[in-house]
Amino acid sequence: MHPHSIEPRGGPSLSPPVRWTIVGIAVLAVGFFALGGGPLKQSTVRAYPSRPLAPEPEPVLLAPPPVDDEFFPCEDCHEGESADPEVRELDEHEHVKLKHGDLWCLDCHDRDQRDLLHLSDDSPVEMSESWRLCTRCHAKRIPDWRAGVHGKRTGYWSGRKEYRTCVVCHDPHSPLFKPLAPKPPPIPASQIHSPTATRSAEMNDAGH
Amino acid sequence: MQDTDHKERTTSRRQFLKAAGTVAGATVGLPGTSKAFDLEELFQQHFRELSQEDLERVLQRMERKYEEEYGKPFSVEATGPLDGVMFGYGLDISRCIGCRRCVYACVDENNQSRDPQIHYIRVLEFEREEVQRWIDFEKGDPFYDHEEVPAEGKLYLPVACQQCEEPECVRACPTTATWQEPDGIVVIDYDWCIGCRYCMAACPYGARHFNWTEPGIPEDEVNPKTHYLGNRPRAHGVVEKCTWCIQRTREGRYTACVEACPVGARKFGNMLDPKSEIRYLIEHKRTFVLKAELDTKPKFFYFYG
Ligand code: HEC
Ligand code: HEC
Ligand code: HEC
Ligand code: HEC
Repeated sequence: MHPHSIEPRGGPSLSPPVRWTIVGIAVLAVGFFALGGGPLKQSTVRAYPSRPLAPEPEPVLLAPPPVDDEFFPCEDCHEGESADPEVRELDEHEHVKLKHGDLWCLDCHDRDQRDLLHLSDDSPVEMSESWRLCTRCHAKRIPDWRAGVHGKRTGYWSGRKEYRTCVVCHDPHSPLFKPLAPKPPPIPASQIHSPTATRSAEMNDAGH
Repeated sequence: MQDTDHKERTTSRRQFLKAAGTVAGATVGLPGTSKAFDLEELFQQHFRELSQEDLERVLQRMERKYEEEYGKPFSVEATGPLDGVMFGYGLDISRCIGCRRCVYACVDENNQSRDPQIHYIRVLEFEREEVQRWIDFEKGDPFYDHEEVPAEGKLYLPVACQQCEEPECVRACPTTATWQEPDGIVVIDYDWCIGCRYCMAACPYGARHFNWTEPGIPEDEVNPKTHYLGNRPRAHGVVEKCTWCIQRTREGRYTACVEACPVGARKFGNMLDPKSEIRYLIEHKRTFVLKAELDTKPKFFYFYG
């Protein structure tokens, strides 16, 4: 960006009252600076009172959205049966399109208690605590997530901070973040017709 | 000692202004001048020199003015910095997908002009291959438009004010209308800005924006919860920029862009707090700042998560 690029081209002409006001202000400014105006030596604002920081509470883990009623509880259909471990095309659950490494359902879902997930030692995990399942294979992500650096914190940086479980952003069946439609691009200068607005947009284009 | 100096200086200045006010009243009180030429506004002291009571008066006057203009209750606060806080910002470029949710959340929160359009955040799109080792700013395209993002092979880099520790913009300002607060936010007193735009020329990041006309914000979209140094509506002829949502962050909240980011790429917090996410990412991640060679010392860190 070059300094000269911000000069307005042929600025608007000023009406007489405005011009006089400017002259008046210039005169005032001279007097003002002569009387000790100019650069402020203070480092802070006079009116600011001291505001101590409150101690930080622990971050709050938000519950994941509940599993769709249409399928939950799973035991409505799966009660008392032990799953068929064979990797195959299912007649049910068509919407579950696995695209997660080369995992199969039973790597995560419990074979005998279908309402539950399980860890590698077969210990059960509630659906609502599914992040513990992810920990099993993505342990490296967990410290970042706990620190609020992977995933997202909202609310208060100083105060109640909320964070989210993995399945809020990652569908466990195909975990890659889903693409989104972007919001509209900024308006380029050439498409703004008012002359003053054009300058504004050009200026904004020049600065990036 | 210094205090007395200060008091003397401000009193004499105030007396001068009072006398000058009478003169100016005669000059500017011409028929046909602007509808609300407010003398009190003209002779308002510099924000940093206002006493608690004067500040209170100024804020109330502004609230009345905005209420009239936008036809709804307004609050204009001047909440000060928290003790022991130096703000910092992190942006994970391995997560950003270029969806521009942040851009518009910022516009809404911070009362940016809709028409003509002002955006504090520009999301630049790069060819991933071209930025393997070095980001050449000028190659970024802010106007990309796709059905869906992220587009194949692209990398996204949102840019707004970098809140430099050595801000060139502050140095360039001839009227001390812009300065760095104790918590590190570079602010503008819109009432002291004369619109010379030296700061815009000085800023290496294009982060400052000028109101070439009266800003256009629909009444039903204006955010009435404002801060003097932040999102209160600006006037024609002044410069504005991102203030890390000073009206939110001074109350302990996250910025609007952090809240809006669907992938969680944006991080904000207190760099002096060893348990904050900003400290964590500085200590554990590979970070870089934009145009480091200029030594402006941004407090805005890009990182690879
Ligand atoms: C409407 C009835 C119904 C509900 C509710 C249901 N399932 Fe199923 N599910 C089936 C049927 C039928 C099959 C067998 C399909 C096949 O063998 O082709 C199946 C198969 C499966 C399989 C494949 C392994 C196996 O058992 O053969 C898994 C895993 C599974 N379901 C998990 C779940 C989970 C988890 C839930 C709850 C969130 C759930 N199901 C709810 C009907 C249901
Ligand atoms: C990586 C582990 C993992 C694998 C592999 C997996 N699931 Fe799941 N599944 C989950 C988790 C975790 C949930 C809970 C999601 C939530 O809380 O939103 C879930 C939820 C479900 C649900 C209820 C929600 C929905 O999307 O309808 C069904 C049904 C289901 N799984 C079926 C299956 C079937 C069938 C397979 C195999 C084809 C399978 N899952 C493979 C982890 C897995
Ligand atoms: C049994 C092990 C296992 C479990 C449990 C598991 N994952 Fe994975 N995950 C994998 C493997 C294997 C890959 C593929 C890695 C690769 O391609 O490099 C993967 C890849 C991913 C990816 C990257 C997707 C991509 O296409 O690059 C994400 C995101 C992810 N997993 C999230 C999760 C989440 C969230 C959970 C918990 C609901 C979870 N995983 C549970 C094994 C697991
Ligand atoms: C706020 C949303 C969000 C949350 C919550 C979240 N992630 Fe991610 N994660 C992402 C995004 C965005 C990516 C970038 C890759 C992509 O497009 O999926 C990612 C990438 C990943 C990857 C792929 C490797 C990489 O770093 O690119 C893994 C594995 C992963 N996440 C695991 C997890 C686990 C485990 C959790 C919970 C402990 C979690 N994520 C929580 C948004 C999230």
